[in-house]
Amino acid sequence: MSTTLVRTTARRRFSGSGRWWVPYVFIAPFIVVFVVFMVAPIVIAIVNSLFATQTSGLGFGGSETLFVGFGNYLRAFADGDFLMSFGRVALYGIVQVPVMMIIAATLALLFDSAVLKLKRFFQFAVFLPYAIPGVIAALLWGFLYQPSVSPFLQFFSSLGIDADMLAPGTVLWSIANISIWSNVGINMIILFAALQALPREAYEAARIDGAGEIRIAMSIKIPMIAPAVLLTTLSTVIGTLQLFNEPQVLQTITANVSSDYTPNMAIYAASTLGGDTNLGSAMAVILGIATLVVSLILVRFTNRTPKESAS
Amino acid sequence: MDATKRFRRSRRASALVALGAVGAGMLAGCSSDGDEPQAAGDGQLPEGGVTIDFWGWVPGLEELVAQWNDDNPDVQVEFHRMTGDDGQKVEAAVDAGSGPDVVQLSSHDLPNYVINGRVQDITDYVGDVEEKFTPASWAQATVDGRVYGIPQGIGPSGTMYREDIFADNGIEVPTTWDEYLDAARELKAADPDVRIANIASSEIGQWVQEVSQAGSTWFDIEDDTWKVSVNAPESMEIAERWQTLLDEDLVTTEQMWTPEYWALLNKGEIATVSYAAWFPLSLAENVADQAGLWRVAPMPTPAGSDAQGDSGGAANVVLKGAEYPEAATAFISWLNGSDETQDALITEGGLFVSTLAGLESDALMQEQDFYGGQVINEVFAEAAANTPDTWVEGPNYNTASTAITDEFAKVVTGKQTFADALDNAQAKTVADLESRGLDVSE
Repeated sequence: MSTTLVRTTARRRFSGSGRWWVPYVFIAPFIVVFVVFMVAPIVIAIVNSLFATQTSGLGFGGSETLFVGFGNYLRAFADGDFLMSFGRVALYGIVQVPVMMIIAATLALLFDSAVLKLKRFFQFAVFLPYAIPGVIAALLWGFLYQPSVSPFLQFFSSLGIDADMLAPGTVLWSIANISIWSNVGINMIILFAALQALPREAYEAARIDGAGEIRIAMSIKIPMIAPAVLLTTLSTVIGTLQLFNEPQVLQTITANVSSDYTPNMAIYAASTLGGDTNLGSAMAVILGIATLVVSLILVRFTNRTPKESAS
Repeated sequence: MDATKRFRRSRRASALVALGAVGAGMLAGCSSDGDEPQAAGDGQLPEGGVTIDFWGWVPGLEELVAQWNDDNPDVQVEFHRMTGDDGQKVEAAVDAGSGPDVVQLSSHDLPNYVINGRVQDITDYVGDVEEKFTPASWAQATVDGRVYGIPQGIGPSGTMYREDIFADNGIEVPTTWDEYLDAARELKAADPDVRIANIASSEIGQWVQEVSQAGSTWFDIEDDTWKVSVNAPESMEIAERWQTLLDEDLVTTEQMWTPEYWALLNKGEIATVSYAAWFPLSLAENVADQAGLWRVAPMPTPAGSDAQGDSGGAANVVLKGAEYPEAATAFISWLNGSDETQDALITEGGLFVSTLAGLESDALMQEQDFYGGQVINEVFAEAAANTPDTWVEGPNYNTASTAITDEFAKVVTGKQTFADALDNAQAKTVADLESRGLDVSE
């Protein structure tokens, strides 16, 4: 009796007849949000980037919007400062990403091992900066970078070391420092969670084979959490290309961060300060494509490595 | 640096902290619309009353708005205090059709707003309020012969200086720029820690006021084209003076409004600040320990001239999309032009007003203890009267000022000279105008 009942309901549910639209209703919220907040802005940016607002004479006779094709893209590529901002974040990324990943991985491995005392406390301490919004973090560090108000710089100064954290050559690394301080915690947590999920038997086996803790970390733990390492590296690389908050805040305290210091700042300068949203859209599309390309290269590169080593 | 920039930079740090609070405040502001019994009652009748959204940053505006609302039940004004990047949000808000009705705007930005159709022509609504203002300030709210705003304060220049530092070292307070260079050298020789001033590459107003003093401008209209003169000979002369100050290490080069900047002032390592009439209030707040040590003198002048400069003023404008421009104009005319508001704008707002009544008011000509009992606004009033009327607002002030500050930053680090910087900024400004299709000449 009851079996029949179950069978009929099951048949009705999967038979495909009746309320065909039900699944669409269930995915509708996602589709709506996805289209409105993901697809539409991208489409609008691309469309905007192909037009320009043109006036004539003194400009008081009104304006018209003209289709200019790739004109805005040509202007963006002709802007040496905009191109230089990509070079700057590339240099920044080459240094900052490895440093970030090494620190995050080292901390995760330490917390995963039995070496450390007061594990919970230190984990919390490392993670805490992530809970501070990026702008606030930059403001805090901004104080610590100014010699007259920074206890650190005053201490170094008393030792005879006059460190200028905001000089043309050092300000990029001062920005990297803020970013690492802010984000190393979340990367550490992701890697740590991945480590915690690993089967402990593998370590047992390795120990029986005579492997030390460092050998286990390098040859077993790291390779087994490769997907998590890729994820955190990818988000760090993307964060590098999107760099905005920290330099924008430091710009208020030093002349050595220009209005187009990073690609995102250049977009802001063109669209908001310069009032040219069409050029800003073109720059944003260029940045988006650059981010996509770098991400794809990174994923390709890292996907290949484990396969080759496995074969 | 004009008033907008001042508010943007100085308040940015604290404003960013308060950003969340502001958002919450705006939500509260929206919801209170419907809660007010009066507004709800009037809402039933289309002609029964209007609400005007007003964004501004002058301190003490809340009280004046409340006073207006009490007297004008039919035109209720909702005030929103601008902080952080609100000034830049206005353009996007207007374009999206969700901007306020009235906004406080730097006079430098007005032509750009006019060209982009973001402000309404209020020539037909202003009546005879023009008589209340100085001709120079009224001209700042006028573009191409039409009135687009009501002036709200100007920025005549002056030099605040540490009387004690000059007296102790037996150095005369300079009255010309030549004397200024000599005084700068003497000060440094007398005390190696002291510099005569700070040159902040991003503080565009300090550059603008000297360009204005020199009888020059960045923009002008000639034969129906925009003439760009960022690197005009007059500016090149100022650049030469700044270069000397920099090359001989006679100035510090911190960004203004930073903790580092105020620390240098508090340590007595900066002897003078040349800036607009609204600056003395900030100075008194930030170096309160030095009360009584500061005085104000006219900004040093070019040899044989008594000209002073102006770093820019502000205006209240009626934005595109405002449904009741006439009511809005009535409000901003009262707020800025009325005799009864002048004292509050001066004492609470710290404005250097531009109305004839305000310039004569007792509130403006008060002795100030921080400045050793000096009536400092006598100096600024004199400066306002001696400012050349050569400065013309142009269509891309923001692009020009961003270009100049970026280029000046490279000067401070020794990569180029101020003269190079002006040439580069000129090129960027011209290229930007050309890309918009405007007629440009150099």
